[in-house]
Amino acid sequence: MSNNDKAKFAFYWASSCGGCEIAVVDIDAVILDVAALGDIVFWPCATDFKYKDVEGYDDGFIDITFFNGAIRNDHEEHVAKLLRQKSKVMIAFGACSGLGGIPGLGNFYTTEELFQQAFEHSPSTVNPDNVRPQPSYDVPEGTVTIPAILDSVRALDQVVQVEYYIPGCPPQPQWIAAAVTAYAEGKLPPPGAVIAGESTVCDECPREKSDEKSITEIKRIHLVENDPEKCLLEQGIMCCGPATRSGCEAACVVAGQACRGCFGPTDEVVDMGAKLVSSIASIAVPETQEEIDALMAQVDDPAGYFYRFSLPTSMLFRSIHDMTEGQ
Amino acid sequence: MEKIMIDPITRLEGHGKIAIFLDDGGNVAESYLQIPEFRGFEKFCQGRPVEEVPRIVPRICGV
Ligand code: SF4
Ligand code: SF4
Ligand code: SF4
Repeated sequence: MSNNDKAKFAFYWASSCGGCEIAVVDIDAVILDVAALGDIVFWPCATDFKYKDVEGYDDGFIDITFFNGAIRNDHEEHVAKLLRQKSKVMIAFGACSGLGGIPGLGNFYTTEELFQQAFEHSPSTVNPDNVRPQPSYDVPEGTVTIPAILDSVRALDQVVQVEYYIPGCPPQPQWIAAAVTAYAEGKLPPPGAVIAGESTVCDECPREKSDEKSITEIKRIHLVENDPEKCLLEQGIMCCGPATRSGCEAACVVAGQACRGCFGPTDEVVDMGAKLVSSIASIAVPETQEEIDALMAQVDDPAGYFYRFSLPTSMLFRSIHDMTEGQ
Repeated sequence: MEKIMIDPITRLEGHGKIAIFLDDGGNVAESYLQIPEFRGFEKFCQGRPVEEVPRIVPRICGV
């Protein structure tokens, strides 16, 4: 990159909520560094570039694409592939893009089950003809189209190759700034790196941990008065801190809520559910397998806690998916 | 009929595109707004503990 050849940046949102776009703006003064470093060549949320502009770029024209949102439909898959072709570096930005995120909870159901609730059964829906979204629809003047929903939600790296991940729902300003600074200084880590902390949320959490066997029953956070100084998990309240990558400074726990794992697993954690079950078992008062099974049965929605932000990339989903694909 | 596509609609949060059909005189005959988003919150909030729902639904729109 010579001085008069500024870097080119793109930002894109697939199946997302817009929070990741706000996170970009939240980097405050660092946004000026981004502007000084390069030009934005695609950012639908903030600038008026069209898909045909991107199609016209040479391959590799974009230096970095910050891609947020999961892949829920065939159009998002198409744009992910287009941006991959046009970009030197793809960053999966945020939990939806990196792990599947909240939209990934859709993978607990078939597309028809999702449609049925949204377009038929929900109390505010009036749809006597049971109309469903049609990818192609003929109107008197011609044809209009919308994307087709895919069978399952996918993370970005399940569709295209990804160089880096900036986790979080949404990502935190300090890690976005760290990525921009690393790029500016030519010090980006090896491809595949997650740009965040390397330990767990527990390591950053200010709550006191006794490491003694303390869980006698699983409790719901709104039904008990929890001790604000003590580890939530040790008080029997589900917290995903032991399996979750650090970097948020235990934001939720500091605010009085349990961690739900939006930074995704650490490098050492193969499966968040398995890690959390073993974390609970290690500090549970019951000791026999039967007693521990009975304790775990008190967790009312284990899959929804353990894989809140990561179902599409979890071993749980991948093995179910592989099983059904093989049928 | 000639069709002009505005795709994507920009400088707003959310996805959309507009199809504009022109008549023989080049005037707008009809235009259609398409909202291509669907995630299924209506379904996947069901069965989750009620105290968790306020931690899920903010992701409908984070702006
Ligand atoms: S990661 Fe979170 S903030 Fe970003 S788009 Fe997904 S739901 Fe929104
Ligand atoms: S389990 Fe939760 S509350 Fe306990 S130390 Fe870890 S992050 Fe903190
Ligand atoms: S505490 Fe957990 S859920 Fe909350 S921001 Fe940190 S990683 Fe995400």
